[in-house]
Amino acid sequence: MSLSDQVLAALLLYGLPVLFGVILICSVGIPFPVSLMLVAAGSFVQQGDMKLWQVIVVASVAAIAGDQVAYCLARWGGRRLIGRVSRSIGVEAQIKQAEALTRRWSGAGIFLSRWLVTALGPWVNVTSGIAGYPWRSFLLWDVLGEVLWVVLYVTLGYVFSDRVQAMAEILGNLAWVVAGLIVALILGWKLKGYVLQRPDNTL
Amino acid sequence: MKNFGWRQWLIVLAFVLVVLFTGILAMRTVRRAAYWHNHKDEPIRPWMSIGYIAHSYRVPPYVLTEALGLPPKPDRRPIREIAREQNRSVDEVIAILENAIVHVRPPYPPPGPPPLRQNQGQTQGRSP
Repeated sequence: MSLSDQVLAALLLYGLPVLFGVILICSVGIPFPVSLMLVAAGSFVQQGDMKLWQVIVVASVAAIAGDQVAYCLARWGGRRLIGRVSRSIGVEAQIKQAEALTRRWSGAGIFLSRWLVTALGPWVNVTSGIAGYPWRSFLLWDVLGEVLWVVLYVTLGYVFSDRVQAMAEILGNLAWVVAGLIVALILGWKLKGYVLQRPDNTL
Repeated sequence: MKNFGWRQWLIVLAFVLVVLFTGILAMRTVRRAAYWHNHKDEPIRPWMSIGYIAHSYRVPPYVLTEALGLPPKPDRRPIREIAREQNRSVDEVIAILENAIVHVRPPYPPPGPPPLRQNQGQTQGRSP
């Protein structure tokens, strides 16, 4: 039996505690089929096996709590470690530059990585913590993004309640397509910069 | 282009690879979505419950409980648990369910009325 079979069987048997636990450990970066579980929860709501408000509240609280744990660990553990390592190998300036960049873009990054590019979620938690992004702002974007994520996936599960696996697979692919598009845009932007630096050269 | 160093070429390569990867994935996603737009039956998996399978395949749940020799009442357990209880393999249970589903769909005649409930206090579950 695959991991997703195990997780969904546990969700059917034990309900909300499984939903809470799996989402919590996923926020810290352990890969579990969490999108599939949320879509399945939406389907179970549609069939009357679970209650909508309970699923939304429990899933949102679990996701937000997990993100805070990851952020705090990175902020108070990772930051010190990075500081020590960067001083010893002399890349302090570059680290500062990366931190400034993260601080500037983190709001949008945190929000979008909660629901649109979920694969980047755990990574953004850690970088926000390490960069010392203000906790209040992190919490605000995190709450907005995670609640949107939960509502979106549970609703899709509710609407496509008879095709849970197919729906989750399509959503998973779509998340990678969006991530690919964003990376392609960033790389394309960089390339455009290189080409425009030399107006005498034509492509 | 002459002035492109190895760094710039590396970014070009990464760009091409990412665009290729994204394009292939996007095509696959569209194909899957189109397929599932026209198909409703999902392969039965060990996590699914009788209720979910009945819902997904649009058959009355009692047809499935009957095929497995279970009482006609809502059963939330995954079929993995049912297989364990009945000392069968999951594949065997899936085969029984698929067979039962085939036999309530055309060209076979529609299933008869649900069997009488043994326990009047319990509901039968959702009918199709």
